[in-house]
Amino acid sequence: MKLKPFRLSVLGLSLLIPAALCAVVLFLAIYSAQAVSFNGIDFISGITWDLGNLYGDPVTVRGAQVPPGASYGILVFIVGTLLSSFIAILIAVPLSVGAAIFLAEAVPAKIRPVLSLLVELVAVVPSVVFGLWGIAVLIPLIAKYIGPGLSAMLGFIPFFAGGNAGGGYGLLATSMVLALMITPIIATTLLDALLQVPKENRESAFALGATHFEVVSKAMMPMVRTTLVGGIVLALGRALGETMAVLMVSGGAINILPQNIFSPVSTIASFIVSQLDSAEQDPTNMAVRSLAEIALVLFIITLVVNAGAKLLSSGVLNVRNSKQ
Amino acid sequence: MHIFKNLRRSTLLRSGVAALALAAVSAGSAQAATTLVETGSSLLYPLFNIWVPDFTAANPGIQVTTTSTGSGAGIAQSMKGLVQIGASDAYLSDSIVAKNPNMLSIPLAISAQSINYNLPGMAGKHLKLSGPILADIYMGKITMWNDPAIKAINPGVALPAHVIVPIHRVDGSGDTFIFSQYLDKSTPAWHTALGYGTTISWPAVQGGLGANGNPGMVSASASNPYSIAYIGVSFKAQIDKAGLGTAELKNADGKFVLPTTETVSAAANSLATDTPVDERISLVFAKGPEAYPIINYEYAIINASQPDATTAKAIQTFLTWALTTGNDPKYVSQVNFLPLPPAVVELSKSQIARIQ
Repeated sequence: MKLKPFRLSVLGLSLLIPAALCAVVLFLAIYSAQAVSFNGIDFISGITWDLGNLYGDPVTVRGAQVPPGASYGILVFIVGTLLSSFIAILIAVPLSVGAAIFLAEAVPAKIRPVLSLLVELVAVVPSVVFGLWGIAVLIPLIAKYIGPGLSAMLGFIPFFAGGNAGGGYGLLATSMVLALMITPIIATTLLDALLQVPKENRESAFALGATHFEVVSKAMMPMVRTTLVGGIVLALGRALGETMAVLMVSGGAINILPQNIFSPVSTIASFIVSQLDSAEQDPTNMAVRSLAEIALVLFIITLVVNAGAKLLSSGVLNVRNSKQ
Repeated sequence: MHIFKNLRRSTLLRSGVAALALAAVSAGSAQAATTLVETGSSLLYPLFNIWVPDFTAANPGIQVTTTSTGSGAGIAQSMKGLVQIGASDAYLSDSIVAKNPNMLSIPLAISAQSINYNLPGMAGKHLKLSGPILADIYMGKITMWNDPAIKAINPGVALPAHVIVPIHRVDGSGDTFIFSQYLDKSTPAWHTALGYGTTISWPAVQGGLGANGNPGMVSASASNPYSIAYIGVSFKAQIDKAGLGTAELKNADGKFVLPTTETVSAAANSLATDTPVDERISLVFAKGPEAYPIINYEYAIINASQPDATTAKAIQTFLTWALTTGNDPKYVSQVNFLPLPPAVVELSKSQIARIQ
């Protein structure tokens, strides 16, 4: 009985987080309701985003007051978000798996904390710094070397052909900046898991005559697969929602789908931020409501990705358990 | 009531009240200071920051806080009453004024915009460009630098056979507003298809690029040879440092002019008498042989009915100072702005008198 006030307060605090989440979703849903009914399914499939003439007199279209010429289609931004995050993961996973294995296996225990601290530090660098680095260092590098190099080597694949449209700004720059931002997230989660692998597993694998590579790939990696997927999900969450750094290096595509890996793109998060100021001048408010609808779409994408990864990782877990 | 009594007794509260009283005494010398909050245009923000120290020195009773958010935020927050002064590169639209008749657009200074290009081998040379050519470039109809239309008005200039990279702003911007107004007023095809606004639904141009903010425009055009961009003249130093060329633009009289103090003043003066009482007017594509075509008033967006007389008086004091002392070239030229013509200052003053 004595615990009751404590329990109650803890319960209240623990309910705050889901309550905040529900409040955000509820707000987005209510606020965007008008836009959802106005835009219909074209919202997801349309590639034309036009706030309309904010200086003209609002007109009534499909029963709603909107600025003349207004049309809200976000396929370009959905594609940009998914593509850039997907490529970022493709770059980041091998990098971070390599880094984690190196830190866990090849580095003397005395130096390991220093090196892993350095990796963790990369994770706390503010994203605007990554954006600046992207503009100052990465973009000239892509325009002069990486871009031409990639199209020379992989130009036979259409996605890599076409030189460097955008002079470095675009999908590749975005993905590389995102990859750098999420590598430490995956690497540190994986490193922690690798260090948790029971000594016996390692040693018995060695005793059976396995090479160091086989010990890592056959005795250790299978044990940490779940954690790896968890780390990737965390990283994907950050990549999907990243705003500032993307805004600075993506080349801000609008009304045009990416043609190749060098094309300018826009992601949902960066697009919301870039449009909000003009949207606030819309006397009918439909622009801001449509931005809220985009936020809702981003929320759903993140939810689906997370749920998918959870399913995947529990599947992996079952496989591992049945093998043991 | 019981709880309230208990609270009143608490020493914690008493010390808190004492601290507050102390703070209030120390903040204002004779009377309590009135605080005005300014937010909005990032182009006006540096000017406010130059103004405020000198204004506060002259008027110790009024504190002004400045923040840089964006013209749209300046308008929205001023309308909601969250800030006293909204800063905007664009005037309020007819529909906003119709809904909110108390909202004023008061010009504070004059700004201009340059069209810049990164053409290797063209450094120091001024290319001639016109509204219809720029419109065709941004609509993807002119794609090469050596297009016959560009060649025709630049005889003798060795134009490269290279694809043009048109760069636009991705964020909502007063620069996009006046650039699109120039295209809208000079090119019927642009007027029908796209119009003007702080954000444009840019036509899909292969190789076209978006950049964030004026600094982003400068760095994107610097790192993209054969690009073209529109940049606020406040960034002239950065534009020159990046080695970008500045275009001579065709004005309403068919003359090609560079953005200079003389041509910007000529444009401002030619429209000073046309400025209506509510001062909502585009200065773009002004008449006159010397007039530079892309200039604009920088506005303070003010709610004429303030919650109390003290705030209203403080706003009036600040705006009047900005239009008189603050319009001195020693302030405005620091950000490459120009002072308002005297006739416009008078119009602004009569709008300021409406604030209560």
